[in-house]
Amino acid sequence: MTDVLDSGGAGRWVRLEDAARGATLHLSGEWRLASLAAIDRALRATPSVRPVVGVGGEALTALDTAGAMALLRHLEALAIDPATVDFAGFDPAHRRVIEVVMAMQVSGHGEPGMHRRNVFAAIGFELEALGRLMLGHLNFFGFLAAGSATVLLHPGRLRPREIATQLKQVGISAIPVVALVTFLIGIVFAYLLGLQAKSYGATIFVVDGVAIGMAREFSPILVAVIIAGRSGAAFTAQLGTMKLTEETDAIRVLGLSPMDVLVLPRVIALVVALPLLVFVGDVMSNFGAMTMAALTLDLSPNSYLERLSLVLTVRHLGVGLWKAPVFALFIAVIGIRMGMSVSRDTRAIGVNTTSTVVQGIVSVILLDAMFAIVFQKLEI
Amino acid sequence: MTNPETMIAVEGVVTRFGSQTVHDGVSFSVGRGELVALIGGSGTGKSVLLREMIGLSRPTEGTIRVFGCDVWKAPADQLAAMRRRFGMMFQDGALFSSLDVAHNVAVPLMEHTDLAPDLIWPLVRLRIALAGLPPEAGTKMPSELSGGMRKRAAIARALALEPEVIFLDEPTSGLDPITARAFDRLVRFLVDDLGITILIVTHDLDTLLTVVDRVVVLAKGKVIGDGGVDEVMALDDPWVRSYFSVRTMGGATGARGDHGT
Repeated sequence: MTDVLDSGGAGRWVRLEDAARGATLHLSGEWRLASLAAIDRALRATPSVRPVVGVGGEALTALDTAGAMALLRHLEALAIDPATVDFAGFDPAHRRVIEVVMAMQVSGHGEPGMHRRNVFAAIGFELEALGRLMLGHLNFFGFLAAGSATVLLHPGRLRPREIATQLKQVGISAIPVVALVTFLIGIVFAYLLGLQAKSYGATIFVVDGVAIGMAREFSPILVAVIIAGRSGAAFTAQLGTMKLTEETDAIRVLGLSPMDVLVLPRVIALVVALPLLVFVGDVMSNFGAMTMAALTLDLSPNSYLERLSLVLTVRHLGVGLWKAPVFALFIAVIGIRMGMSVSRDTRAIGVNTTSTVVQGIVSVILLDAMFAIVFQKLEI
Repeated sequence: MTNPETMIAVEGVVTRFGSQTVHDGVSFSVGRGELVALIGGSGTGKSVLLREMIGLSRPTEGTIRVFGCDVWKAPADQLAAMRRRFGMMFQDGALFSSLDVAHNVAVPLMEHTDLAPDLIWPLVRLRIALAGLPPEAGTKMPSELSGGMRKRAAIARALALEPEVIFLDEPTSGLDPITARAFDRLVRFLVDDLGITILIVTHDLDTLLTVVDRVVVLAKGKVIGDGGVDEVMALDDPWVRSYFSVRTMGGATGARGDHGT
């Protein structure tokens, strides 16, 4: 009459009693989450000879919702409506757990929300998102232009105190790191050029290489990249947090304009500070190169400076210094807009800050390439 | 309530931050299947005590046992086993913001069980349903949820491993009264139908008056009251009196409303 299943110790969990009117599942042991895998195996191993008409819970010592779910899923897999099954001998608490789980009517098996896109679709979506981002930047640029025009007409709306605070943060506080990095690059650059120049006995031309190379290209790029990482990221994080804590909304409600209070001071400060920092970079890199030249190339600081005054014309210096405010404008616009556009979600600040740094660096390099082409055509 | 099995035992807990004593010998216990509320004015260290119970902050003195296991002295493997037996709902949910609700609920199941995905995902759906969320909530990100849904999602995650005890930190704070009462019913359902023991830190008078079995009142670093709501309301303590007086006035307004109809 009764066949006890022993395949894989299934009998420990469930025993099938086969009678003329149908089968009854007798459950035993602790039907808990901890044993769910074994219970599930035992249920799968139970032969489905005849429709299950009853479930017996006399030998059940514990039952949690996971256990109840396994039982109900088994009945469901056998295409049996649990409502028609006679649950007998259950402890009232166990009975209630079964009723609760039954009432939940949970359906579905797979991982929810998993719709994998193929590679091309994914690239397409990324590109679309990038396009939207760029349009958004352009839009913001328009707002910035309008805001600047307003301030030009009403200079009283300019906030000197905010600008000064920002100038200190993005300019003065950045001097040490800018000075250190450009000094070290000056050393490396002089060493690199010195190796070549020495073999021709032309060590004096190291000065030309370092001074012109740094002033025109490397100092602006290096400093802009540092500032994109430093101040661009800071703008996004500051404004993103302010957005999240509704500070930007408070500014608006108090009748102030976020453009005047938050945006313009940062843009102006960065546009003013970056050329100055690039100049710091010009000076420090030559200082580094001069040190290196004196130590390894037998080029005295006197002769270095003398050569420097000959080769480093205002034209070369100007190329670098003119590029800087354009870089600054892009870094500021990206940083501010990425901050202002965080969604109501703490994670978004991190995502946007990372994005700001990447966009800032890429845009600096793109702009520099464009400048190179333009300057070449103009023969500057 | 008559069940003698002690799930949580707090014995002589003293907590000091520098020279400031927050707890000065706090003792109480929670038995299996009870729904106990921990109340007290701000600064009485309710949340600190809760953090000490779940092993996040260390009390200066005293012992805290959960399932008979000393939270601050037991060996690591015992602690790990103990942690799997309770769930915690943080005040604002503390959902992982990079995962959707279903994957938030799946985290404990994936980390602490060796179940196959075809068992994990139905379980996750069951937890989401038990917490009173619609099935489609599973694919939402935490940032897309309302406050009430976020708290339900947090309950679903706390329920993941079939806990015997759940700690709730101010579950109804920031919810509108209707959502808050629905949440109270959810809490009561977990206790009555699933046999879960719940310790709840709350300010919400309605929660106290409608669903809680027992109230523990914390004041001046000690437990000044421990019993049913009626017993606690009768306490002769200025904070308790002013706390419950709000409700007495509310009751009067309600009575007037009844006369009107």
